[in-house]
Amino acid sequence: MRTTALPAPVATRPRTVAVGSLLATGAAFIAFAGLVVIYVQQRQHARATGQEWFPEGSVELGPAGMMMMTLVLSMVTVQWAVQAARTEDRPHGFIALAVTLLFGAAVINQFWFVYADTAFAIDDGVAQLLFYVVTGSFIAMLLAGLAMFTVTTIRALMGSPGRDLAHTVQAAAIYWHMCVLCYFIVWYVVFINK
Amino acid sequence: MTLTESATADPQVASAATAVTTSTPGSETQTLAQPFVTSDGSAIGRLFVMVSLLWAMFAAVIGALVAFGRSDAVEPAEVFAGLNAYFRMWTLYRVSLMLLVLLPLLLGVAMVVVPRQVGAANLAFPRAALAAFWSWLIGSVIMVVSVLAGGGWGALDGVTRNEGDAMALTLLGTGLVIVALLMGTLSLAATVIALRDAETSLLDVPPFAWSMLVASAVWLFTLPIAIANIVVVYADLRGRAAIAFGRAESPDIWLQLDWLFEQPAVYLMAVPVLGIAAEAVSAVLGTRFGRPEAIAAIVGIFALLAVGGWSQDYFTAPQDLRDGLVYVAFGLAAVVPVAALIGALGMQATQNPLKPQQLIDTRMIGAAAALLVLGAATVVGALRVIEPLDLLESSATWAVFHGVVTAVFIAAVVSMVHWSSELFDASVSKRASGASVLLVGAGGGLLVLSDLVSGFISEESDIMALALDGSVLLNVLNFVGSVTFALGIAAIVAAVAQAMRVREAAEATLQASTA
Repeated sequence: MRTTALPAPVATRPRTVAVGSLLATGAAFIAFAGLVVIYVQQRQHARATGQEWFPEGSVELGPAGMMMMTLVLSMVTVQWAVQAARTEDRPHGFIALAVTLLFGAAVINQFWFVYADTAFAIDDGVAQLLFYVVTGSFIAMLLAGLAMFTVTTIRALMGSPGRDLAHTVQAAAIYWHMCVLCYFIVWYVVFINK
Repeated sequence: MTLTESATADPQVASAATAVTTSTPGSETQTLAQPFVTSDGSAIGRLFVMVSLLWAMFAAVIGALVAFGRSDAVEPAEVFAGLNAYFRMWTLYRVSLMLLVLLPLLLGVAMVVVPRQVGAANLAFPRAALAAFWSWLIGSVIMVVSVLAGGGWGALDGVTRNEGDAMALTLLGTGLVIVALLMGTLSLAATVIALRDAETSLLDVPPFAWSMLVASAVWLFTLPIAIANIVVVYADLRGRAAIAFGRAESPDIWLQLDWLFEQPAVYLMAVPVLGIAAEAVSAVLGTRFGRPEAIAAIVGIFALLAVGGWSQDYFTAPQDLRDGLVYVAFGLAAVVPVAALIGALGMQATQNPLKPQQLIDTRMIGAAAALLVLGAATVVGALRVIEPLDLLESSATWAVFHGVVTAVFIAAVVSMVHWSSELFDASVSKRASGASVLLVGAGGGLLVLSDLVSGFISEESDIMALALDGSVLLNVLNFVGSVTFALGIAAIVAAVAQAMRVREAAEATLQASTA
């Protein structure tokens, strides 16, 4: 048979779920970036007019660094769950999911500590208001990520064998990694640059 | 005479019956629950189109009343019982035109047309698209009702506690509407990217599908910034006492969101206009545009110039941003792609002598009108950023807005005529749609003209341009323009209602014949 008689190769399209996840993740990132830009602009304005942003020593760097480390570790466990879903490896998949959930809960617990430690009231001033808006929005995004990751991983691992749902876990993982990137920005902008 | 005989006696109904049979297999099983459970992208698109046309009627009436309030016949506060109420309606008119009428209308048309254009069996994530429709509808009702209940996006003359609560509800409704539109947009963009025909490259998709893809990208990367604004305002407004961003008794809330309705972000509505015009002209001429990549590039450049999240001036001193080179460059450059498309389509149209029926085709007239009005809007936008003319904080801002709104609505009418069989399984009356194009075009033209002239004459900046400075003539022109615009919307709503009646009659015919 001549090779010219062979049918043309079918163009491969990215999976719909992956495309949807990328677009949704991008939109969520833009919204969060919008918040951070407002935060930075207001802080610049305050400094330019000689005002204090946060009271001296009120925002500690230690817990924020711990959260950063925790989230970086969670990126590994999330990819571990993706790989387990691909190979339909239930034991590893559930361990990875559990550890990721633990990391997520640890970060939220650490934020609780930060809120108690700083003891800001939301209407103390623009700095305090925006502190709660930026970190609160991040926590909401993290909770959404945890929920999405849990549902997709359990569906992939508990579904009928051979039904490839690993791409849905990968989609949730993309969103999770974006959340970690958002926290990196919070860590640098809010906690390090105070 | 049987029901079938009586129904098929009407040739319009007979052809619609054929369209219903061929386009929507299984439509005889439609039930009242269908709008709540359907996973058919076309049905969801039709829902968006229908409801956004109803909102268009509402917005047009509000617009006419607001214009009446600016006329010399009454004081603005007299029309809506108070300055705050007038401000609420003034803002509601603008927000509803963009978020309740034009974006969902374009999205709805695209949900029906684009999957077919790219060879997809259905919309990507149809359940998400259905959730988007219902979230949008619920959000829009919350938004409008809360505004009518004393909420809105700030006030000019003090507020009561209840009005502050209603404002929080307005913000929630606005946020929900934007999130819903983003979900629908995401579904559409994923359809073009991931579900298009295996042999079609991205640059080979028809101009409308391409323009919707590019518009989707702009919407997805601009509208979330408005959500960020809303989150900040809401958090402050709901505190024990608003300290900076959510002061209900001032127009501050509106001033944090108005960038969405000003250039360059206002052009995000107009990106699909270019695609619709290109397709309509090609269809009327019966020829394909020789350089499709040129159309793709023009649409892409215009979309790039519509990215506007960076242009909000509430958080910085206005002169820092709006006198800056980037803002001026965006304002001036927006003229170029629209002019380029007008030139390209004009050349295509004049390659062969035009037949009279081509010249009077609603789609041809509409496409030309939409592009010319959009071109005029971008020219006004360019004038606005030229500092010596001092138009930035004048009513010229709303001349650009009205120009864009007029162009988009005319393009939407053209799309409803051009794809009437896909959208409604029946043809839309050419007479009514032609009248709609002319009335909307004339009304929008008067609005642009009166706002622009007032911008030149006015010596004081006024966020609402409460009274058009200059002469009684300008105020009368503005009011007449609003009423004419409203009549144009009524004409297309009537035409679509007529098409839907024909479709229902066709379905009844089909059911009777199968029974």
